[in-house]
Amino acid sequence: MSAVEMAAFPQRGPSHRAVPLPRGRRSTELAMLCFAVAIMAFAFAASGLGLNGHVPAGLVTYVGGFSVLMAVAHLAVRRFAPWADPLMLPLAALLNGLGIMMIYRLQESGRNGNPGLVVPTLIAHAALYQLVWTALGIAGFVVILAVIKEPRILQRYTYTLGTIGLFLLALPALLPSSISAVPGTAAKIQVAVGGFSFQPEEFGKLALAVFFAGYLVAKRDVLSLAGRRFLGVDLPRARDLGPILVLWGISMLVLVFESDIGTSALFFGLFVVMLYIATQRKSWLMMGFLLFVSGSLLAAAIIPHVHERFAIWLDPFKPSYIYGSSLQLVHGLEGMAFGGVLGTGLGAGQPYQTPLVQSDFIFTGFGEELGLTGLMALLLIYGLLVQRGLRASLAVRDPFAKLLAAGLAFVLALQVFIIVGGVTQLIPLTGITTPFLSQGGSSLVGSWLVIALLIRISDTARRPAPQPIQDEGLTQVVRAG
Amino acid sequence: MNRAIRRLSIAGLAMFLVLMININYLQVFRVNSLAAEPGNIRIFDQQFKNSRGEIIAAGDQGRGGQDLVIAKSRPVKGGYFQRFYPLGRVYAPVTGYDSVFGTSSPNGRTGIEKAENKFLAGTAPSLAVYNLKGLFTGKPKQGASVYLTISPKAQRAAYSALAAMGKPAAAVAINPSNGAILAMASYPSFNPNLYSPLDTRLVGKIDKRLRSNPSQPLLNRAINDSFPPGSTFKLITTSAAFKSGKVINQNSTIPAPTAYLLPGSHTRLYNDNGAPCGNGRPTIEFALTVSCNTAFAKLGDTVGGSALHRMANAYGFNNPNLTIPLPVTASAYPPLTDPAQIAQSAIGQFNDLETPLQEAMIAATIANHGTTMRPYLVQQIKAPDQSTVQTAQPSSLGSPITPGQARSLTLMMEQVTQNSAGTAYLTAGPPATGILIAGKTGTAQNGVNNSHLDDAVFTCFAPAGNPQIAVGVIVQGGGFGADAAAPIALKIIQAYLGQR
Repeated sequence: MSAVEMAAFPQRGPSHRAVPLPRGRRSTELAMLCFAVAIMAFAFAASGLGLNGHVPAGLVTYVGGFSVLMAVAHLAVRRFAPWADPLMLPLAALLNGLGIMMIYRLQESGRNGNPGLVVPTLIAHAALYQLVWTALGIAGFVVILAVIKEPRILQRYTYTLGTIGLFLLALPALLPSSISAVPGTAAKIQVAVGGFSFQPEEFGKLALAVFFAGYLVAKRDVLSLAGRRFLGVDLPRARDLGPILVLWGISMLVLVFESDIGTSALFFGLFVVMLYIATQRKSWLMMGFLLFVSGSLLAAAIIPHVHERFAIWLDPFKPSYIYGSSLQLVHGLEGMAFGGVLGTGLGAGQPYQTPLVQSDFIFTGFGEELGLTGLMALLLIYGLLVQRGLRASLAVRDPFAKLLAAGLAFVLALQVFIIVGGVTQLIPLTGITTPFLSQGGSSLVGSWLVIALLIRISDTARRPAPQPIQDEGLTQVVRAG
Repeated sequence: MNRAIRRLSIAGLAMFLVLMININYLQVFRVNSLAAEPGNIRIFDQQFKNSRGEIIAAGDQGRGGQDLVIAKSRPVKGGYFQRFYPLGRVYAPVTGYDSVFGTSSPNGRTGIEKAENKFLAGTAPSLAVYNLKGLFTGKPKQGASVYLTISPKAQRAAYSALAAMGKPAAAVAINPSNGAILAMASYPSFNPNLYSPLDTRLVGKIDKRLRSNPSQPLLNRAINDSFPPGSTFKLITTSAAFKSGKVINQNSTIPAPTAYLLPGSHTRLYNDNGAPCGNGRPTIEFALTVSCNTAFAKLGDTVGGSALHRMANAYGFNNPNLTIPLPVTASAYPPLTDPAQIAQSAIGQFNDLETPLQEAMIAATIANHGTTMRPYLVQQIKAPDQSTVQTAQPSSLGSPITPGQARSLTLMMEQVTQNSAGTAYLTAGPPATGILIAGKTGTAQNGVNNSHLDDAVFTCFAPAGNPQIAVGVIVQGGGFGADAAAPIALKIIQAYLGQR
């Protein structure tokens, strides 16, 4: 609603009534955070017991280090965002902690006299690296909370961030394959220099989300004007189609040059969803969906790598694929089936059989060892996180923050859907990370930045309105003389 | 904007629901089909981490003999188990082998290892309760033990006799009263331990070598190879004649010309060496004792093709569904209409083919007063805690002849060994043994224009008055059945009965 409306009916804003203004609830957050760390500690112990019958030596280091980091995050929230949603930080912490636990369990497999096979793509100190990346993520988290006191500060940098975002997105495509190609895959999504690699898309995604929010808030009135009516749907005016077509083109180019359906789906989905929220016009959603599907089918027809993804999705057990391109998917599926309802128990399964189980396929690793039960819990944690983000979006009044929070929360859901759906054969598999769980620094840091922004927005939403010093109605006119 | 956000929340919820439904489907309903995928490395790995159950030859139980373990699992490094067959070649047709290709290839397992895999691997539903107990007590999973009807004495005698002969051959011994298989030997055999290493490349190489070996050591000749029955088929022709009423008992006479012109043809059939058969109209007992071809060819023509076909079927021919529980190749007696062919088939020539198991079943049926018992190998299955999971229930496959007719046939078969003119007098009669054996020899012509060496066939049971064992032996290219096959049968009988 516009500022004019707000002024006209100060007491009757529907968002006021829908979300009662609460207390800060920082103690709740601390308790939940302790709970999350406790779950991580128990999981660590269980994985060691399952692996070799001993509580792992790394438990103190990893759980201790992680606790310190989470304490820092909690103190930062207390200091900089005291009214923030109390669940977001514990939920993210639980996912991150379980991720470190699983990477530790995978790194130990076949090493130090433990049973199982060594995961060839996983170095011996992978869990320590993941902890270091967590520290970087928490650092970014604290910086965002400290620097961005109000979400609307970001609105000033709409176009700057848009340019940066597009640059980051396009960077791997522009760089030579020697730097940008992920070993063993056709995807060009990283920047690797001297053993250090990062995936710029994780940060580009964030910058673009801010750009979309700023751009759409400014243009939404124009974009929602009706154009021609076609098949009972109001199409936008042709001249307003520009931005969506441009974004579609860019995401298709990403798909072509970086061979990465997942990333382009994510970017395009982010934009279309934010466009829909801004304009409330379903026609944008339908157009976006149709454009993406037709673009993907076209890509499948033209690009062998994309075509293969479709083919192995439809029949992963075809003998000509099974020892090649579909091996990973098949091993992931068989691993999940091996786990069944209750799982083999942490440390007792064979997740090391699945290639790259520590990154794209970490969800199947959890499925094998924690079973259907564990996966349902993980999905509920993700679902809750998304729900808390959307709730902050509903509660906040500033349209820019509203749009940004909704976009970030929904894109988190979309990311989980794309990767989990991919590894469970629901949709064609595309290599994107599982937020917070996967090994991979950029993704982890990026995810913490998203949580920082959502916490900032929820803080803004839940912060009580400043109390007027005096009630206008009681103002007395003091007459002089 | 809030309305759109609420709608999106619902969309997000729907996405999570779809994921959850799909994962439920995957981890509950697709568990079995994914576990059965060939090349499922986890299942593949799993099967060698559990101790597979033992296979035990228990046929001498209660006969003064010991149970003998013929297959067991031994721990090897890496927490795996490997299969070991202490008497490899002797029991190979029974045990089969268990290889690393067990789940991925139809030939990855054979024999009892394949047929009873569910129990040996411990995955049978009836073992679920036991496995569940193990889950809570933390005991490693162990398969159930399979106790076989095989008598170690009879089996050892059978294999050494076949090996001493040195020709492709097989022998099967059955307990006529219940169908329990006491011995099942095949030569040349193979060493199943060669399949045990947990090394796909090595086992693949060995398998290829054994499969391309021209002597076919992997072939279980006892149940999966078939041979012309030769004169032993005259027992079935006689049964059909009894049943038709055209011959009453062993004392009835039948026409037996020296040369018999096959009906509707210009081919003449003779007896061995062109000899006459008695006075030209001998009793059927005498005709069987000396095994006259002309008498039984003519009898076959008299009885008719369809009556012979029905009787052969009643004895177990043309049954493609028999499992013991190893699948048994069907013995063949085709339905015939041409009288010449019928006459030839009545003496076990033309297109008749039978497995050595079928050969033993003929004798077993006569020994069991005319009732054929379903042959079986597995006596009992015991869970690792020694509780019995399953016990064999002997069952009948039918009664091709009456007890009276079986009595007549028994008396006729006794003459084969006891009458000094009988074809097996020297090799299975008083000169060779004191045991009263009722038998029938067969010498089957073979190959194009009978160019190959004759197959030697012998079917018998003993003791004739109180039958405890029925034996069928076929030696490929063995020559006369009395000379090549009967001594092998005798050795098996002597070993089993513990008499000379």
